[in-house]
Amino acid sequence: MGWTQSNNRKMIWTIGGGKGGSGKSFITANLGICLSRLGIRVILIDADLGGANLHTFLGISPPAITLADFIKRRVSHLHEVLIPTTVPNLQLLTGAQDLLNAMDAKSVQKRKLVRSIQHLESDMILVDLGAGNSVSVLDFFLMSDGGILIVTPEPTSVENTYRFLKSAFYRRLRQMVSSPSVKAVIEGAMDRKNEMGIQNPYDLIKAVRRIDQTEADRIIEEAEAFRPNLILNQVRSKKDIEIGFSIRSACLKYFGIHLHYLGYVVYDQDVSNSIRRRRPLVLENARSRAAQCIMEITSKLANRP
Amino acid sequence: MKSIKDQTYYEILEISPTASDKEIQRAYEHAKETFHADSLAVYSLFSEEEVKEIQSAIEEAYRVLMDGVLRKSYDQSHFQSVGGALPEKPLEVQGDIREKRPSLSFTGISFQPDEELYRGKTLKQIRERMGVELPLISKETKISLKVLEWIEEEALEKLPALVYLKGFLKGYAQSLGLNPQKVVEGYLRLIEESKRK
Repeated sequence: MGWTQSNNRKMIWTIGGGKGGSGKSFITANLGICLSRLGIRVILIDADLGGANLHTFLGISPPAITLADFIKRRVSHLHEVLIPTTVPNLQLLTGAQDLLNAMDAKSVQKRKLVRSIQHLESDMILVDLGAGNSVSVLDFFLMSDGGILIVTPEPTSVENTYRFLKSAFYRRLRQMVSSPSVKAVIEGAMDRKNEMGIQNPYDLIKAVRRIDQTEADRIIEEAEAFRPNLILNQVRSKKDIEIGFSIRSACLKYFGIHLHYLGYVVYDQDVSNSIRRRRPLVLENARSRAAQCIMEITSKLANRP
Repeated sequence: MKSIKDQTYYEILEISPTASDKEIQRAYEHAKETFHADSLAVYSLFSEEEVKEIQSAIEEAYRVLMDGVLRKSYDQSHFQSVGGALPEKPLEVQGDIREKRPSLSFTGISFQPDEELYRGKTLKQIRERMGVELPLISKETKISLKVLEWIEEEALEKLPALVYLKGFLKGYAQSLGLNPQKVVEGYLRLIEESKRK
């Protein structure tokens, strides 16, 4: 067990978007357990600034050792701050504040941290980003191999998710273009009341094309390569399930992006019962409807190329 | 990445150029549900004008693609103008209206259109657009042709008892690839409305 110097790239999933209370930590913890029970070595990273309590969902006490011990060089390797769990193949890394501070730092440090994370000996890393769309959260979301948005079928949750998606989408485009004038147009486009009359990504492309044809083509390529994932949580009816498909269609029409609807988790009293008992649902009540939904999503994640 | 104005009718409905009429029907119902004015998935992303524009595009795409002649003409003008080959449409075999329902999702669930859609006259309209004859549905579902006609004509006084009617509506809906539950709900609403009048 431990750190490796190999350059094998790990599959890093970030779980974010939506609003607080949409179930990101609950889903991250339970997905992590299900994946590790398939024999996949999993590390969960708690980067939820608003409420770093992934350990509670795993039924373990607040960890004494965190990412700060690595950043402040009290330990020499990142693997030394990993906390074992009761589930084989599953480890936890905490230190939300330190992680996101590091992400706010200079890009060299940021890349160094991401590289250290990528070098951890595991097959899959799940990062619980929590709510909010600060620059550091967006960057982590964009740097990962796959971003997963957790949404509940409620207006506030869907609104926040779109806000997050817009911020991530424009930030990604801004990072990919090199022309300063095009970067300025993208920044301006993020404000819907902008003076350029840019209302949506299509208007943006038209505006960019007037400045730089190549950059416009690059934006189109980037938009098509941006493929976030969606999990709908606390679903109570078939109509709720369909909201996921509608969000997918709306994203295709608005951004031109292909959002992948990974699955849904039904509303289930067993979920709150398991949280109160500080026992992960998939261990406490694997036959519950919500646990079954999580297992279905797990199999999709495990089989993603 | 194309704006709604630049998308083909197939792209607007998110279907393949070889989509069957049933697939077009389902995609249309999903699109209508998604781009409904009060849709949870849409109101905070698009302006009212954008939603209206998309709604008109969906209606136009559906109108053209569900009409064999218009679709053929559209395919010829569109695919030839972009230098591509004409799509090979699947054969709409009249003798096999129970084609396997393609799953649009991991759940295999069907989309719920506006329940108002499922009045008798609208069911007839959908069936005719699909080019399916009523006697064929009668043969497939073992529902009397007369009962099917009464359902479509909304001859409510002639319809059998509710318990039987529900079963007939489900069979009829399944044969057209529609959501049976929604068809039953829509039709029962029609009966309720009629009783109130």
